Amino acid sequence: MPILELRNVVKKYRVGKEIVTALDGVNLAVEAGEFVAILGTSGSGKTTLLNVAAGLEKPTRGEVVFRNVTLNKLKEWQKVAFRRKQMGFIFQSYNLIPSLTAQENVALPLIFDNVPVQERTKRAVAVLTHMGLKDRRKHKPTEMSGGQQQRVAIARAIVHQPRIIFADELTGNLDSHTTHDIMCSLQTTVKKLGQTLLMVTHDRDVANYADRIIFMVDGKIVSEELGGK
Amino acid sequence: MKSYDLLVLANRNLWRRKGRTILTVLGVIIGTTAIVVMLSLGIGLVESQKKQMEQWGSLNMIRVHQAYSYPGEPEENKQRKLTDEAIEEIKAIEGVLAVSPAYEVGGEAKLGRKTGYLQLIGIDAATMELMDFNVEHGRILNENDQFNVVAGCRVIDNFHDPKQQPGREMEWEQGDPLELLDKRVAVTLMNQRQQKRIYSLNVVGILSDKSMEYAWSVFAPIKEIKKMRDFTMQGMGGNHPVPPGKEVGLPQLPRDMPGQEDDQYSFALVRTQDVSYAKYISQELRDRGFNASSMADNLEGIENVARQMQAVLGGIGAITLLVAAIGITNTMVMSIYERTREIAIMKVVGASFADIRTLFLAESSLIGLMGGMLGIGLSYFLSYLLNKYVGAMMFSRMDPENMFQISLIPPWLVLFALVFSMGIGLIAGLYPANRAIKLDPIDAMRNS
Repeated sequence: MPILELRNVVKKYRVGKEIVTALDGVNLAVEAGEFVAILGTSGSGKTTLLNVAAGLEKPTRGEVVFRNVTLNKLKEWQKVAFRRKQMGFIFQSYNLIPSLTAQENVALPLIFDNVPVQERTKRAVAVLTHMGLKDRRKHKPTEMSGGQQQRVAIARAIVHQPRIIFADELTGNLDSHTTHDIMCSLQTTVKKLGQTLLMVTHDRDVANYADRIIFMVDGKIVSEELGGK
Repeated sequence: MKSYDLLVLANRNLWRRKGRTILTVLGVIIGTTAIVVMLSLGIGLVESQKKQMEQWGSLNMIRVHQAYSYPGEPEENKQRKLTDEAIEEIKAIEGVLAVSPAYEVGGEAKLGRKTGYLQLIGIDAATMELMDFNVEHGRILNENDQFNVVAGCRVIDNFHDPKQQPGREMEWEQGDPLELLDKRVAVTLMNQRQQKRIYSLNVVGILSDKSMEYAWSVFAPIKEIKKMRDFTMQGMGGNHPVPPGKEVGLPQLPRDMPGQEDDQYSFALVRTQDVSYAKYISQELRDRGFNASSMADNLEGIENVARQMQAVLGGIGAITLLVAAIGITNTMVMSIYERTREIAIMKVVGASFADIRTLFLAESSLIGLMGGMLGIGLSYFLSYLLNKYVGAMMFSRMDPENMFQISLIPPWLVLFALVFSMGIGLIAGLYPANRAIKLDPIDAMRNS
């Protein structure tokens, strides 16, 4: 039983007078605990696939089923509740809130989930410690390197123990050495916690950390193969 | 999101742009101060009017005058006579604390070398304290006092020395009320038969200058004055007796003059529980046919004028606060443009529409509340300056103890200003907050 399933998903955008088809009949099933990478060039529709899969965008046609619930039929507030409890997000540009410290950024999803302050702090510090950032937890994002910021973002994505994590080009702004470090720790973390990870990248090396690699071209899945590392 | 977290976040967000927040708060400070100071002037006006009126007679007192009958007046228009039954009837009205009937006589008086004219009023001595008779020197009357009187604080001004230069007499000079205390005053009464009787009265108390209503009269227990009045009425015939107190030196009144019956009191003092009762009872007495009047009757007019003035003044303040509210909205819209990305992030990590909306509403309300609190502080300061300098100029002749405050900030105004400024902040935040929740998280993330 897959945790996430996309059934014949079509997504069309209107750009000026033209209609662009970003996803053209995508079928994809992700098993619980699986690490899947979606590999494609820019414009192949891989980021749209991720957004539609996470319920951030509505598909034009087709269904997105997450744990037996059809996401695209839910109301916005229901999707918010899903994201708050069961999904984590990692972005290329880290997307940390500049006015908050690392620890506060990590604790942010817990604030919206009404977790009490002490519990929040405890969990945030634990996750930051796991990501090797215990002594940087009082720093603001601007006082940290790109790699450190992305580690904070990963910590934020896993602090509420989501079922699934969506990652969009998470190494796009990092050098190759940092990329390796980050990918290794992300890989071990999700495996240890049994979390599902759906990652979008254009980097073949990065895609190799996944269990399964899916190739996308022009809004269609063209092939797939097993990851190497 | 818990309210504590909300406040912490909102507060921190505000101080990320200190300069802008301070300027916006400044707008609210000016708006709040404008409203509070303007309203305080209106309130100060009403209060000082009330105080001023109270000096001329307590606001919870009603005076019922004797009935005057005009020959040929239709029966239904006739005023009710102030008889004992009438006094009992007034006593029974709800809200009436005490009623004292009164007789009034007047006559030439001598104090040592000085001569003058005295108005003597006889009242129920037991009710004196309720009727706001405050004795400043000496003692108050009791029912058994004979030939003992208390005098109003300005009675002394009625006396003058006939041997003094004629020019000096014209000068209005305040005498020392204490000059009368424990002195004997000889009062000469005359009746219609031109008979004279001289009473020697002992002044045992001087009234304070708090109530000017009683300042120019001399008071004695009613049965004393009734005796004097009965004497002055002797020799009056016919159906049209002369009002007591006016007889001395007067020739027989013409027949067609309005007159009064001799079987009624000169007037009656009614003490009510409070001002609102006074207004109502005064009207009630008139409805029942009594010739009643009260200081409180005028109060409504003054309050109406003051209310209109307050509306105009408050309106000017409200416009200022409206401008401040637009300032808040502007600040919040700017803030949302700057924080588009941040709002999107919060949405992605699980903030609901309600979370986003309350966060922005909290920020705008905080601006309003801060402005309101500082505005109230500034208002108190301005109010103090107004009272100290402008008020002192306007009421420079008054002693500082009785000085009126031209600007008065009662506690309810403070509360009102706080709630109002916070409410303005809240309303000003509605539009930006709704913009914030409409932001699409995906679009927001893309603009990087």
